[in-house]
Amino acid sequence: MWNPYLPLSKSTKRISTFGSLAFVLFLWSLLSGLNIIGPDKLPSPWDVGKAFATLTWSETDQQKTVERSLKEVTIEIEKDAILPAEQCNQVCVPLYDNPAIQSIEECEIDWKDEQYPEGILWCSTKIVEGQSLLWEATYWSVSRVFLATLATLLIGLPMGILMGASTRINALLSPIVDPLRSTPVVAILPILVIWLGIGEVMKIAFLVLGAIVFLIPMVRDALQAVPQTYWISARDLGATEWESVQKAVLPMAMPRIADAIIASVSIMWTYITVAEYVNAEKGLGQLIQNAKRFSAMDQVFVGIIVIVALALVTYQLMVKLKQSLYPWESEL
Amino acid sequence: MSIKMDNVGQSFPKPDEEGMVCIVDSIDLEINEPSINMLLGPSGCGKSTILKMMGGVRPFGVACPTAGEIFINGEACHGPHNDVVMVFQKYANRPDLSIWDNVAFPLTLSLWKKRIPPQEREERVREMLEAVGLADKAALRPSQLSGGQNQRVALARALVLRPKIILMDEPFGALDAQTREEMQHLLIELQEKHNCIIVFVTHDVEEALLLGDRVIVLSTKPATIAENFEINEPKPRSSIWLGSTYANQQREKILSVLHASTSKDFQ
Ligand SMILES: Nc1ncnc2c1ncn2[C@@H]1O[C@H](COP(=O)(O)OP(=O)(O)O)[C@@H](O)[C@H]1O
Ligand SMILES: [Mg+2]
Repeated sequence: MWNPYLPLSKSTKRISTFGSLAFVLFLWSLLSGLNIIGPDKLPSPWDVGKAFATLTWSETDQQKTVERSLKEVTIEIEKDAILPAEQCNQVCVPLYDNPAIQSIEECEIDWKDEQYPEGILWCSTKIVEGQSLLWEATYWSVSRVFLATLATLLIGLPMGILMGASTRINALLSPIVDPLRSTPVVAILPILVIWLGIGEVMKIAFLVLGAIVFLIPMVRDALQAVPQTYWISARDLGATEWESVQKAVLPMAMPRIADAIIASVSIMWTYITVAEYVNAEKGLGQLIQNAKRFSAMDQVFVGIIVIVALALVTYQLMVKLKQSLYPWESEL
Repeated sequence: MSIKMDNVGQSFPKPDEEGMVCIVDSIDLEINEPSINMLLGPSGCGKSTILKMMGGVRPFGVACPTAGEIFINGEACHGPHNDVVMVFQKYANRPDLSIWDNVAFPLTLSLWKKRIPPQEREERVREMLEAVGLADKAALRPSQLSGGQNQRVALARALVLRPKIILMDEPFGALDAQTREEMQHLLIELQEKHNCIIVFVTHDVEEALLLGDRVIVLSTKPATIAENFEINEPKPRSSIWLGSTYANQQREKILSVLHASTSKDFQ
């Protein structure tokens, strides 16, 4: 019989999760495999996989040259002589100071340089440089979300707590805070750019704004949802006004406050692309933005998938943390 | 030690219309001796309101009391008094704290922290947990205890402050008959040991008879004191005692006062 409270076994849950993901993947493969939508609109899963691989790690060859005055190099050679090619490695490799370089392509001594009349050694070779665009972008986006979370909590928690603890403060601030909840934050972005410029401050401020308008009212509601008995009881036992909030109401409101924090961080992840829309040199939003400009739909998909995955992972971690901090909540 | 209500009344604003509705009217009451005093009246008559006024806890948005004055130890009292502690029907035990921390909670407040040294605080908590028979449950949380055990925690938390006056609002109302009887015996035992004044609100005539040195019967709308019964019988009183002629006579008297005061509603 249908029972909405029926607990599922771990294996059932796992099978369901993988099943639904596999189904989406199958449908996606089918649509792109049969060429129903076209790769310019929907890249195939394998193309996205390839893009993921290149973004994760790509290597490029680069010509690297080193020049040294002969005064700084120990070398036995007569003036105006030509350096034999066999000696290139012996002389140049130490100059690169890079264990990956064991041989050199070209070397030469210039005896007629005006700046270095004593002669100058010139070495040149190709270096394979690897880089992870995805890692770099992720690092920047995660840092921004992290900083914005800190700022949001630092401002939002005290405000929400004060509003929840005092109906007077709430009456004063809620006419300002509550309408902000339904303001189109994205439309405020240009204003933020005018006020704060196009740098990091603007991006963090945008994320903070997007999350804090939800955090503050949710924290307030968390405090107000605590049954009055706990407050009355604390007052009766001799708690001061602040103590009855700090030691009775607040601890009881913590699970819901934690929920509010979790929701705020989730909201930030949805806004990160917008925050990085303007003048971002690095970040997942910029990665998507850039890929879109070059019509690299596969890379756009990679960016979106990584953001969703990061948001999911942070969500799961925070939920786990909350459950271990407030195990009593589920027992109420 | 004493608690005195002098012509105390309470009105609340009417929900929809202008004006006030009088819930409690001119209560005169004086308790000077350590004893258990039962406030008996039908549900909704204003018992909890009277108790809150005694406790000085005024969570309403209106003046409280609206008439008269309450004196604790002869002094007019306008807020929570350090010698008065309340116990609620819903225990108000903190789900996030262990049983030990629940009982120790009042002692963590700055008021008591200043007065009681840490070592004595710990001793008091241990002593109270033993007195209510929960010494082995100190590490558990309230959700892991039964209703009766939770009410024991609430009692221990109240007594850990050694109050002179304890106000109890239908504390055993949600318990089953057997647990309730155990708790009643425990309460009598603790009251005799601590020698305090207990004001105990109930709507149950038998509970009033079993526990009360004095039964104060309230009338409804507004609540006033209809009648005062002294019951000078040894405690604890058994269910056999409840069947005795004396107990039956008292019960009949109390019930007739209750009926008289409620039937005036219908006239
Ligand atoms: N804060 C309040 N505002 C308005 N009416 C109240 C308030 N508190 C209690 N009342 C009214 O007072 C009456 C008595 O309530 P209460 O003291 O809780 O009764 P009892 O404890 O005897 O069951 C009820 O009719 C209730 O509606
Ligand atoms: Mg009541």
